[in-house]
Amino acid sequence: MIAMNRALSAISRFVNRRQAFFFPAPAVAVLFLIIVLPIAFNLYLTFTKWTIGLGEPRFIGLANFVELFGDERVWNGVKVMVYFSGASLALELALGLMIALYFNRAFKGNELVQAIYIIPFAATPVAVALIWRIMLNPEIGVLNYLLTSVGLPPSLWVSSAQAVVPTLVMVDVWKWTPMITLIVLAGLKSLPQDPFEAARIDGANALQIFWYITLPLIRPVLIAALMLRSLDNLKEFDMIYTITQGGPGIASETLYLYSYNVGFSFFKAGYGSALMVVVFMIVLVFNVVMNRLRRDAPAV
Amino acid sequence: MRSVRVVVALTVLLCVGLMSATAFAAVDWKQSQGTEIRFLMNKHPFTTYIEPKVAEFEKLTGIKVVIEAFPEDQYRNKRTIELNAGGKVDGYMIMPGQDDLHYWKAGWLQPLDGYIADPKLTDPSWDPKDFFASFAKASSVEGKQIGIVINAETSLLAYRKDLFAKFKQKVPTTMKELEQVAKFFHGKEVDGKKMVGITLRGKGAAATSQWVDFLYTFGGSWTNSKGQSNFASAEDIAAFKFYGDLLRKYGPQGGTMLHWAESTSSFMEGKAAMIYDANVFKALYENPKESKVSGKIGYAVIPAGPKGKRLPHVSNWSLSISKTSPPERQKAAWLFVQWATNKENCLGALLAGVPSGRASSWKSKEYKAGDKQPDWTAATMKSFDIGQGQWNPPVINVPEIRDITGQVIVAAIEGKDVTEAAKKAAELMDKKMER
Repeated sequence: MIAMNRALSAISRFVNRRQAFFFPAPAVAVLFLIIVLPIAFNLYLTFTKWTIGLGEPRFIGLANFVELFGDERVWNGVKVMVYFSGASLALELALGLMIALYFNRAFKGNELVQAIYIIPFAATPVAVALIWRIMLNPEIGVLNYLLTSVGLPPSLWVSSAQAVVPTLVMVDVWKWTPMITLIVLAGLKSLPQDPFEAARIDGANALQIFWYITLPLIRPVLIAALMLRSLDNLKEFDMIYTITQGGPGIASETLYLYSYNVGFSFFKAGYGSALMVVVFMIVLVFNVVMNRLRRDAPAV
Repeated sequence: MRSVRVVVALTVLLCVGLMSATAFAAVDWKQSQGTEIRFLMNKHPFTTYIEPKVAEFEKLTGIKVVIEAFPEDQYRNKRTIELNAGGKVDGYMIMPGQDDLHYWKAGWLQPLDGYIADPKLTDPSWDPKDFFASFAKASSVEGKQIGIVINAETSLLAYRKDLFAKFKQKVPTTMKELEQVAKFFHGKEVDGKKMVGITLRGKGAAATSQWVDFLYTFGGSWTNSKGQSNFASAEDIAAFKFYGDLLRKYGPQGGTMLHWAESTSSFMEGKAAMIYDANVFKALYENPKESKVSGKIGYAVIPAGPKGKRLPHVSNWSLSISKTSPPERQKAAWLFVQWATNKENCLGALLAGVPSGRASSWKSKEYKAGDKQPDWTAATMKSFDIGQGQWNPPVINVPEIRDITGQVIVAAIEGKDVTEAAKKAAELMDKKMER
């Protein structure tokens, strides 16, 4: 009995001295299981050839990465990704900033307008994308009905290889600009008022105030918003998959969609994993660069 | 004297008894009594039909049947994963045209020929000759029967009978006529709506299922005699080009994004004079709640190609037995498959709307009495007779090669250089084919 008590108190002393290790241990174990292990497994798969359902993964070294460089669809995927993300991020940032500036004044019904304005951002992506898909249908969609009823020619929207990416950019901008606006608006509201007053007293006009005061002050916030948005945007999947599945042909197949197809339509787990690693590297590099820019910005 | 007569009478009785035993009760349905078997099924109308009847089979045989059914997409994954993990699966539904090579190579398909030939296991009334030869072939790999058809499909040309009569157009019997009729109707105004000539699937890989009928009918094929891609051949290119031109010139706008749902809805809206798609979509076209053209539709077999050939594909769901299941349970599983595909059940399923792979079901009085579209039945029968069971590329990695094919179809619909696209795809296909 005494021996047992002694043992127990020894254990409790042991645990007490190492609280920092024992208390987070369950959470760390779970994280390890659901994050570290899958990533490690994914990395392992990149060096294998494995068709799901046919035998075991076979080690092939760097062959997947070699194949990747000669694969036209990879380059197409990078091109579509740069086009889609470049256009949508630029537009979202510009529009988001403009609208935030507009909302950053007192006007009647300000709060109501803002509440309505964030609806696209709050709605479920797949549900919204399904509705867009119907609206964009060139035969029965409401967008062509609206165009033709004001005398404009109908568009093929996502059914045309040329129009598909701009159309997807339009949907993305519609959905995500409110998010940028919210972040920038919060930033604007926290800015010190003295530089603005000083500028006005010195006779600066609105454009000068925006260019020489607001913009430099808001830059870190803008970059933070861009980073947040780019994380999702560079691996945009649900909206594109729901509306076009990468079509027509491969005209809207981003690298991310292509890796999904390779993994889950063609069941090539090894090559698909290698593609995913490339997508991950692109997102990582982009964010490291952005982070640099943010750190180099003058402190507010 | 009396005792002699008794002996004779007894002998005769014994002989008759023995004869009848061999002639009428060759299969001992109770031979696997007490065995439990597990089948994985797709939530398909056939499953809905057969599930409530399983109790009859259990009473007849004393075999316990566990059926687990899942919606199709989920089902395919579940089946692959369970077989891969080596779980207790004795039988399952399979679409041979889609998965047979993959499953065969993986060692998951038990050849059934031995069971069919064994008089102790297969009742003569099961009559294997009653199944359409095209489907028996479609459910075979390397000459081995690996499944018994439970749902038989093909593709047909459906056309607006009312408009064809009104504008005095003949049902096209050749590809040339098909193009002419499509051209004739394209842009015609009917009831204030502008018609399109024909609607087809155009969405890349999804379009290959119907495009393949044009491929075969134009004399083309997936691979040549050396087993290499045949896409760069004149016949294959002609098929790509004809299909793409037809849809671009005389089809709905945005042809490259048409899946079957978009294509059929355009026909059911009354916007297209013709459609070429799966014959089972008759159920959609003729449903007055969903279709504006029900009762106005005629059906025909695919028009003949430049050399007079017509070769539509047939596709099917089959019941297969898992090779990994132990022999005792395989035997019980075969008794179940045999019972589920007997004449009575195939007819019952057909009357419940599941197209049967047995000729006798279609010829039955019961079916004919309720048949509202005899021309659909006639065209379907014809297509079953002439149909080709290989509708996917003859490879293991079917989805990947279909995807490559789909890129050429899209290029053809977009009016791009088909020859170049086909050549590029042929090279890629040669590189990626897995057998």
